[in-house]
Amino acid sequence: MADRRVPPPWQDRLRRRALLAWRRTRVRLRVLARAWQRSLRVRVSVTTVAVGLVALLTLGAALSGQVRDSLYDARVDEVLTDAAVRAEQAQSAFDNSNAARSQDVVVLGYDVLNSLATTAGAASVLLLRPPGQGTQFPELASDNNQRALITAELREAVRGGDRQMWQAVAIKTGDGEVPGIAAGTMVTLPLVGASELYFVYSLSEEQATLDLLQRVLLVGALALVLLLLVMTWYLTKQVLTPVQQAANTAGRLADGLLDERMTVRGVDELAVLARSFNEMAQSIQDQIERLAHLSQMQQRFVSDVSHELRTPLTTIRMASEVLNASRDDFGPIEARSAELLATQLDRFESLLADLLEISRFDAGAATLEVEETNMVVAVERVIDIVEPLAEQRGSPVARTLPEVPVRVDMDTRRVERVLRNLLVNAVEHGEGKPIEVTMAANARAVSVVVRDHGIGMTPAAAARVFDRFWRADPARTRTLGGTGLGLAISLEDAHLHGGTLEAWGSPGEGAAFRLTLPLRAGLEVREHPLPLVPPREQSDPVEERDPAGPHALPDDFMVEVSE
Amino acid sequence: MSPRVLVVDDDAALSEMIGIVLQSENLEPVFSYDGTSALEVFRSSQPDLVLLDLMLPGIDGIEVCGQIRAESGVPIIMLTAKSDTTDVVSGLEAGADDYIAKPFKPKELVARIRARLRRHEEPETERLLIGDLVVDVAGHRVTRGEEVINLTPLEFDLMVALARKPWQVFSREVLLEQVWGYRHQADTRLVNVHVQRLRAKVEQDPENPEVVVTVRGVGYRAGAPPTR
Repeated sequence: MADRRVPPPWQDRLRRRALLAWRRTRVRLRVLARAWQRSLRVRVSVTTVAVGLVALLTLGAALSGQVRDSLYDARVDEVLTDAAVRAEQAQSAFDNSNAARSQDVVVLGYDVLNSLATTAGAASVLLLRPPGQGTQFPELASDNNQRALITAELREAVRGGDRQMWQAVAIKTGDGEVPGIAAGTMVTLPLVGASELYFVYSLSEEQATLDLLQRVLLVGALALVLLLLVMTWYLTKQVLTPVQQAANTAGRLADGLLDERMTVRGVDELAVLARSFNEMAQSIQDQIERLAHLSQMQQRFVSDVSHELRTPLTTIRMASEVLNASRDDFGPIEARSAELLATQLDRFESLLADLLEISRFDAGAATLEVEETNMVVAVERVIDIVEPLAEQRGSPVARTLPEVPVRVDMDTRRVERVLRNLLVNAVEHGEGKPIEVTMAANARAVSVVVRDHGIGMTPAAAARVFDRFWRADPARTRTLGGTGLGLAISLEDAHLHGGTLEAWGSPGEGAAFRLTLPLRAGLEVREHPLPLVPPREQSDPVEERDPAGPHALPDDFMVEVSE
Repeated sequence: MSPRVLVVDDDAALSEMIGIVLQSENLEPVFSYDGTSALEVFRSSQPDLVLLDLMLPGIDGIEVCGQIRAESGVPIIMLTAKSDTTDVVSGLEAGADDYIAKPFKPKELVARIRARLRRHEEPETERLLIGDLVVDVAGHRVTRGEEVINLTPLEFDLMVALARKPWQVFSREVLLEQVWGYRHQADTRLVNVHVQRLRAKVEQDPENPEVVVTVRGVGYRAGAPPTR
């Protein structure tokens, strides 16, 4: 069977084509709009040309109107004078005639008309009888084609007064119309009596002059607009090139190329811009270099202090250990003193180490030694280390860790230090109640939450817990020998990784700390894989009315590992 | 005869204290208080081990380290107050075997020294093959064909540890425990630097190691002997 596919109806095709065209137009419009938004040059050029065009058109219209009016007025005056003179000549010709019969009058009329038509500048001359006065005298016209130009209105006006009357008319020619003037006046013919004499003048010459003028104006205007466009384009280039250069230079400066400068040419405003820009860049460079120098000095100071303090500390330390090792040979007072000396030296040493660590962060001298590591292993290792201490205090440590490796770009030493701090902290404040360590990852980040059920803390305390040497309760002594800098250092460690460390607490319910790190160095943490506030203890009353019930786990309480 | 330890430190009190501790551990201390005289004292005393402070007046500790290493494979342990700086790496690269960060405990110091002084007393007639090298454990010699390659005791120990178990990939932590005697966490830079130094001596092309092979993300392994 032959393939008799029915072509889609033409409406459909048309609609589709229209849709396509509309889409294309929209795309083009969007491109234009973008060019308009993004390029000052396009904006300035388009605006200038538009304003120039409007101004020129207005000017041209006003000018050609003025010229037309004066040309017209002059011509009308000339025409009317001519018509009046001719009418008088015709009247005197009629007055002097001695025609006795109406045929003679007709002949006379023709003669006069013909002589008028040939001598006057008029396109045609007509001699008409007022209506209702018989038809024995015919209408006489040098050009019958133009009889229609004489309107009843004009004729009435001519008949109504004894003055010359005129009207603007449009004379039909082979190819269109030219403006013209029809002027009429009353003459008295012998025998026949009052008749109407009309002259029709063409204004085609004036029209031609006007046309020429308008053409010249238009061409001139177009040339001007084009010139304007080129000028604006060039001028904006002149102005914008340095601006563009300034933007590029500023960009490079921002990227840290502090030696970047603009080239200064001439003494104009743009040169001033370049010079000011360079001064600013110089000033910024000086400031940055001074700060860098200060930071360098600070670092050197820290390292010097480190060395200077550590060498005598080593000696003291060793002496104390030697004494402490042989304390069995001492009396009770000396033995206890040796013991105290040894333990307090431990404390002094860790305090010194923490102080140096903090000052390294302050100096911006802390560096991250990142390596892709399975963080689950690190978390387990830290728990293994702290667990004996926790058990000693009666706090079991429950682990909820991902079963698959979670590979994180991290500085293992720092991350383990943070986790150790959090865990020891939980043991210290856990009052022998269970401690939970939960870990989960999503596509971008990994979170570890360390939760205790001890004395807890107020939200105000949770906000200050990372402050240096801060204590929730100054009366409480540190039982596990913390320096008061542990959490401050942990926070800095987390920030160094591009991660976060947050605290939550509720008096009597315990506290929770959440460490969140990006999986890859430089990745931005958007969503924490674990909630900080435990869902059961949520203090927010709105959350308690959650239809899923207070025991429901939040949606993100799951392990998502991209590998 | 008790092993002799040269202590190079500009701090007299610390030197004396170290001396007391060493003597109590039956080690014989010799002292030098600046970098300039360190090499002379080293030559005259012929110590079994050197404790070297990194910051010294006169010649810098790193330079002293290089000078000693240039003429002897004797174990060198650096004493440093700045364990986290590049100084440690520079010291290791200059030939130091190990380092101890100040402030340290006497036990720690003695353990480090003992680990470096430890000799394989029992006669071993083992001959190990690693890459295209032959390791004579008893004779403390490494040869490639006829050529003898000079290694420091530490580098030799590292080679032996790898060559004894050619099927095993050693993590940096395991090597630290076996070769350096660390039980707990230590600085894995020690391993990295010494593997580099070892490669510079034993590899035909250190860029493409065939004797000490890196296993990415895990550690190091002995290169297979060439099949004949």
